[in-house]
Amino acid sequence: MAPKPLIVLDHVGHSFDDGRIVALRDVNLSFGEGESVAVVGASGSGKTTLILVMCGIRIPTTGVLLWKGDPVTTLRQWTDLRRSEIGIVFQEFNLFPTLTASENVEVAMFGSGVGSSERRRRAEEALKTVGLADRATHLPQELSGGERQRVAIARSIINNPALILADEPTGNLDSVNASAILDLLFDLQRARGATLVMVSHAPDQVVRCSRQINMKDGQVFDQRSMPAREEVL
Amino acid sequence: MNHLELAFRNLQRRPARSILTILGVAFAVGSFITLYGLSRSVHENVQRSFDEHGTDLTVRRRGIAEPFGGTVPETMIPEIAKIPGVAAVSGQLITFAATDNDDSVLATGWAPDGFYWANVPLKAGRVPNPDERRIAMVGYDIARALGKKVGDEITLLGEKFRIVGLTDYHSIINRNQVIVNLADLQELTFRTGAVTFLSIRLDNPADQAEADRVAQTIESMGKLSVARSEGMLRNDSLFGLLTAVSTSMAWVALFMGVLMVLNTLLMAVLERTREIGILSAIGWSTERIMGALVLEGFLLSAVGSLVGIVLGVAGSKFLSSIPAIGRYVAVEPTLPLIAATALAAIVLGILGSFYPAFVATRQSPAAALERA
Repeated sequence: MAPKPLIVLDHVGHSFDDGRIVALRDVNLSFGEGESVAVVGASGSGKTTLILVMCGIRIPTTGVLLWKGDPVTTLRQWTDLRRSEIGIVFQEFNLFPTLTASENVEVAMFGSGVGSSERRRRAEEALKTVGLADRATHLPQELSGGERQRVAIARSIINNPALILADEPTGNLDSVNASAILDLLFDLQRARGATLVMVSHAPDQVVRCSRQINMKDGQVFDQRSMPAREEVL
Repeated sequence: MNHLELAFRNLQRRPARSILTILGVAFAVGSFITLYGLSRSVHENVQRSFDEHGTDLTVRRRGIAEPFGGTVPETMIPEIAKIPGVAAVSGQLITFAATDNDDSVLATGWAPDGFYWANVPLKAGRVPNPDERRIAMVGYDIARALGKKVGDEITLLGEKFRIVGLTDYHSIINRNQVIVNLADLQELTFRTGAVTFLSIRLDNPADQAEADRVAQTIESMGKLSVARSEGMLRNDSLFGLLTAVSTSMAWVALFMGVLMVLNTLLMAVLERTREIGILSAIGWSTERIMGALVLEGFLLSAVGSLVGIVLGVAGSKFLSSIPAIGRYVAVEPTLPLIAATALAAIVLGILGSFYPAFVATRQSPAAALERA
């Protein structure tokens, strides 16, 4: 049975510079609950724009996005979704340099109605989940690249999102750390039943997803379901 | 961690800039408290001085803007004394007089039958006899400053006066004035038969209607203006100029402080474009981001105001320690002035931080995140 759609892109397009640069062109996609999807394609094919459009950081110039069947049309709706339903992991980590690992995670809970002591408790719990319990009080510059990305992952899952968007999460990591981060992401996705949409260039990462979307020139060139991981292994 | 700690962390990150901004606000608040306090203190000290002498109304030559420039003829005293409601009338001649060591003091000539004598608080010595000439009573503070005691001589306008008593008034003006016989001062200033103003004591000082009636009667005599002691300086151009200059400087200083807060936050916003993009990416609303930046503005203004209060009080003490000021004015910023200034700085600091906050939230989060 096909998973229930979590987010649907209906004829979505996105262009810059008054339409001179087209980053996405008539994209129609549906992402089901609990799915893991790899988005692949050459540089400039629109992968990152797709991720940014799916979390409302970029607003589509044409078409509409549906979240659990409802159209998302306002910035306020997108802000609410990013706070409570969508977690984002960037290639660049994007941590706050003045905040400790724990505080970097906590800051994503501001505005979610959780008190400060509970925020701290949950942040420590999330860091424990990603294996950084003993690094909670360290500043980002005191952490390795892999540890920083773990903090970013902890931040992305702190509000129990239904959708995790990861834009080349291992792009800045060595192969050992990259593998560990991927294990962590997939483990969390499975354990929490979240949908994972991940931009990647690496074939070994792509095969771990349940579906692959190929992009070219801002369009979905091809998409196909992947065999279960156990079969691959 | 809460919003306040987060704002504090961001300010800590650029300590030099934050400290300089705090100092800028502090100097602005300190300057305002000191300068505005100075102009207020002039009025308050003059009023205290008159109150200590038991003066309810003062009569001056109408139209003279300088403090001691006009004169009133002594011949008017018996005429005014007859007005119903007037308990007593005394004339005072006042001038800044050169004294020893190129210094100058506030010299006051009192008529021997003036009502002020009854209220003179003595620190040492005695009150002069009515027929004594070339004698002086010296305020305790100026006596100490000049190293004088009872029995010493003090030079006024080139003439020697023997000190027979030291006065112990509370007001700073009275503690620094030298009282001599009116006739002596009239002679030395070539103002025979004239006084700077007349002081009136009323039968019922609390009766405003009676005071107004007395004032109208005196003013109808022509070329005279009458004021309550607190209104003495209202039409004085020199004090008016002092008030205008100090108040203007005070406001300029305060607005400079606000501009510093605005500049600091604007620079911070431009430098932190990427961070603001991250906040947006993790679900912070524009209101929350604006609030966080305004909170930083509040912290800068609040800490700056606290330091400014200390500077303002210290600046006031410093001004009071300058003899040319401190002999006539005790610069004492009042609690309401301090509170109002600090509050104004904080409110203006918050308002000043709205623009940078607005600029921050107008940025596209995508563009901010793409910026390296």
